[in-house]
Amino acid sequence: MAIINYAQKVINFKVVYYGPGVAGKTANLQHIHKSLPDGSKGSMISLAAGDDRTLFFDFLPLSALTVRGFTAKFQLYTVPGQVYYNMTRKLVLRGADGMVFVADSQWDRLRDNVESFRNLEENLREYNTSLDEMPYVIQYNKRDLENIAPLDYMEFLLNRRARRVPSFEAVAVNGDGVFDTLNTVSRMVLVGEFGQEKGEHRETA
Amino acid sequence: MRLHDVVIHEGDAEKINAVLTTFLGESGATEALLIDRSGQLLAATGANRALDTVSISALAAGAFSSTGALAQLLGETEFTVLFHQGNKESMHVSTVDDQAILLAIFGERTTVGMVRLFAKEAATAIGQILSEARAKPRSMGDLSTPLTADESRTTFGEPTKL
Repeated sequence: MAIINYAQKVINFKVVYYGPGVAGKTANLQHIHKSLPDGSKGSMISLAAGDDRTLFFDFLPLSALTVRGFTAKFQLYTVPGQVYYNMTRKLVLRGADGMVFVADSQWDRLRDNVESFRNLEENLREYNTSLDEMPYVIQYNKRDLENIAPLDYMEFLLNRRARRVPSFEAVAVNGDGVFDTLNTVSRMVLVGEFGQEKGEHRETA
Repeated sequence: MRLHDVVIHEGDAEKINAVLTTFLGESGATEALLIDRSGQLLAATGANRALDTVSISALAAGAFSSTGALAQLLGETEFTVLFHQGNKESMHVSTVDDQAILLAIFGERTTVGMVRLFAKEAATAIGQILSEARAKPRSMGDLSTPLTADESRTTFGEPTKL
């Protein structure tokens, strides 16, 4: 749910990074935070438990784009990935304009990815929305590890809805794929909000 | 532009700021923030100090939604007020309507009772403005036409490689 403020000439969007526990959602935000110049980012807030796992959410406000005299601001959130934090996870989803699903590429986490994806669909239903209406991308993280599933198989498991979405390989702790993911989802959110002139290439194939 | 967006036109912003300014005058609070329940700041009025209102909004909306979930566990619809007391400064968060909350920061020159009383009045007035704003036709001006390819290609740029 975008917030368009004509008085301040600002458009606010909310993008939520979703996925199973320890898949690298927080690592994405941390890399974005340390890479962007001060003028285009605010403070990063992490509500984490003692073991560095996200307890409630991470939050990183960005502002970098200007669209027709309006500043487009993107507020990035992560959800807690652990299964038992579903109530707080659901709260963070409220009002999301776009999503990044961060999957863990390791073989032994494939089931967790699928369960988390289903959980996302269920939680969106409670807000009377669905991935059919929501711009989203998928990021296959931890591609530097040895025990990982091939890309085709991960696509088969997670990118199998009627609308295939852009997906990215990533090593979030090194920053690989992090900005490709962010730039693509933010463009999709903008196009989803305002549409794009006919005949132009759309990011959401 | 989608149906469930929140659109604040200049006239609405002026009316909301007028209500918030009156609220500060009557309650003795130092800052008032109108926040969407998704965590985004809609309007802010008050002492001109460098508060990180963006972070405050995200955290307050998180805390308020969390207490709402607690209320439901007790069979309540929601807790309509959230109050944090500090040594010198305190914070009062209350319901405006099902999309917005009102946060007031106040110091020692007033009491939580005064803030609560006038926050209730301000919330009613702001709820009315927001509901009228939602009912208005959404003339979009500069934002009414689809984006060109160039406009939709804007990105966060190539960050410095670390």
